[in-house]
Amino acid sequence: MEEILRVEGLRKSYASNGQDLRIVDGLSLTVRRGEFVSVVGPSGCGKTTILMMLAGLTSSNAGSVVFNGAPVTATPKGVAVVFQDYSRSLLPWRRNIDNVLLGMRRLEGLGTAAKRARAMELLHGVGLKGFEAHYPWQLSGGMQQRVAIARGLASESQLLLLDEPLAAVDAQTRGDMQDLLLELAQKFQQSCLLVTHDVEEAVYMADRVIVLSQRPTRVLEEIAIDLAKPRDQLTTREDPRFLAARHHVISLIRSTRAAAGANPGHTP
Amino acid sequence: MIVQLLLRLRVVISTLVLAGLWQAVAMSGTVPEKYFPGIGKVLAGFVMMTASGELLSNGALTLGRAAMGLAGASVLGIALAIASDLSPVLRKGFRPIAEALQSIPPAAFVPMAIFSLGLGAKLYAFVIILVTIWPPYFNGVAALAGVSEVQLQTGRMLGLGKLGLLWQIKLPAAMPEIFTGIRYAGTISMIAVIVCEMLAGRDGIGFMLFKKAFALKTPEVFALMFATAFGGLLLQALVSAARWVVTGWHILMMERPA
Repeated sequence: MEEILRVEGLRKSYASNGQDLRIVDGLSLTVRRGEFVSVVGPSGCGKTTILMMLAGLTSSNAGSVVFNGAPVTATPKGVAVVFQDYSRSLLPWRRNIDNVLLGMRRLEGLGTAAKRARAMELLHGVGLKGFEAHYPWQLSGGMQQRVAIARGLASESQLLLLDEPLAAVDAQTRGDMQDLLLELAQKFQQSCLLVTHDVEEAVYMADRVIVLSQRPTRVLEEIAIDLAKPRDQLTTREDPRFLAARHHVISLIRSTRAAAGANPGHTP
Repeated sequence: MIVQLLLRLRVVISTLVLAGLWQAVAMSGTVPEKYFPGIGKVLAGFVMMTASGELLSNGALTLGRAAMGLAGASVLGIALAIASDLSPVLRKGFRPIAEALQSIPPAAFVPMAIFSLGLGAKLYAFVIILVTIWPPYFNGVAALAGVSEVQLQTGRMLGLGKLGLLWQIKLPAAMPEIFTGIRYAGTISMIAVIVCEMLAGRDGIGFMLFKKAFALKTPEVFALMFATAFGGLLLQALVSAARWVVTGWHILMMERPA
C-alpha cells in the first residue's frame, strides 16, 4: 500500500523554568492509504499535541511531517481533523448543514447545489436526517459529534485525524459511533488516524495500533491487528486475537509507566 | 387568575401608579404649580405639540441623529477593534488614549466642536461618535481576543487564512458581546444628541426643551421629557432589531431551556 503520511524524528519541547522540557522526542510513524491506525499511550504522553503537529496546527521543534510527498506547515488540503471538543469545534452560528458545507470549502469542481446535496447525504449518513436546519447546540453531545464527523468527511479528505472523538459520549452511543466511523471509513476509502486513551477502542477500530511511550514520547511498538472485517461489538471483542492484542497493549503501557517511575497522580 | 391578569396589565398599572403619584405631588402644593404642573396639563401640552407637528418633526430629527450616530459609531468601533486585534502595537498604544477619551462627557466636546465644525451635521456626528464608539470598541477588542482556541484551530484546519478567520470565525463569535456594547452605546447616544441640541442646536428635542423652558412653558417641558424617554425606547428597539438580524442564533441559544 502507498503511504500518505510519513512522520520522522518529530520533537516538541517547551521552555519550563529555564529548562528545555521535551514532550515528544524522536517520534516516527507512517500511515498508508486506506488504513485505519490507532494511537494509544499512557495518560499525559501528549497525544493531542502529536495530532495537532500532524495536522500542521502546532509547530514542532525538529523532525518532519510529510503528507503526500509535501512537508506539512499548515493543514494540507486532503487532511481533516475531528476535534475532541466537538461542542466548541462546531460553529454555533451556523446550522448543521452550514457547518458541514464549511467543511467543503476547499473542495473544487462542485457547484453550490451539488455541495448542498452532498452535505445532506452526509448528514443522513450519520443518522441526522431531519436535523439539517437545527443549530449544533440544539442537539445532544453524541449527535453533535456526528455533525463533526460529517464535516470531517465532507472535504473528501485523504486522511482523517481523529482526536479522541468519542471520549465525551456515553458508553452506549460510543459503540454505535465506533461502528458508524468504521462503516464510513470503509465506504469512503478513508485513511484514518485515531488518537485515543481507550485501549479496547484502539484495537477494535484499527488495522494497526501504535503504542506510545511515557514522556518524552516516542513509538514503543506497532502492532498489526488481524481481525475480520466488518468488526462486530460482540464477536470481535470476544475473539481470542482481540483479547491477546488488548493484553499486549495494556502490558506495554503498564511497563512504560513503571519504567518512568509511575504516574504520581494515577490511581487505577 | 388574578395574579396573571395583574402581570399582563403591569405596564398599564405602573403607568397609572406613576401618574397618580405625580398628580398627588402636583395637588399637594409643595412645588408651585408653575414649575410642577398636574398630569392633565402635561398631557394637554403633549397633545398640542403633537397636533402642531413640532413634536413629531423635532422628535424624528433627534431620533434620526441618535440612530445615525450610533450606527456610525458601531461600524467605526468594530473597525477599530479589528485593527487593534490585527496589530498588538495599535492595541496597546491606543488603549490609554481610548480610556482617557471615554471619560470625557459629551457636553465637554461641544464648545471645541462649534469652533472647528460649526453648527450642523458635522458637529452632531463628531460629538455622538466620539462618545458612543467606546463600548462597541472595548467589547470588540475583548471579544475578538477571547475567541476560543478550538474555533480558531477549526478555521485553520479548514484552510482559512487571516482574513477568512476574521470573517468566518472571529467576527461571528464576537458579535454577541459587541452588541452588548452597542446597546449600552444607544443610551449614551441619546444623551449626547440632547446635549448637542441644547448647546448648539437649532432644532430637535434638546433645542425645544430649552426654548420651552425659557418661555416658562413647563407642561410642554415635561411633555418633551416624556417624548425623549419614548425616543430612547424606540432607539433600543432599533438596536434589538439589528441584533436579531446579526446574532439571532445567540439570542435563541441563550433562551433555550436548559
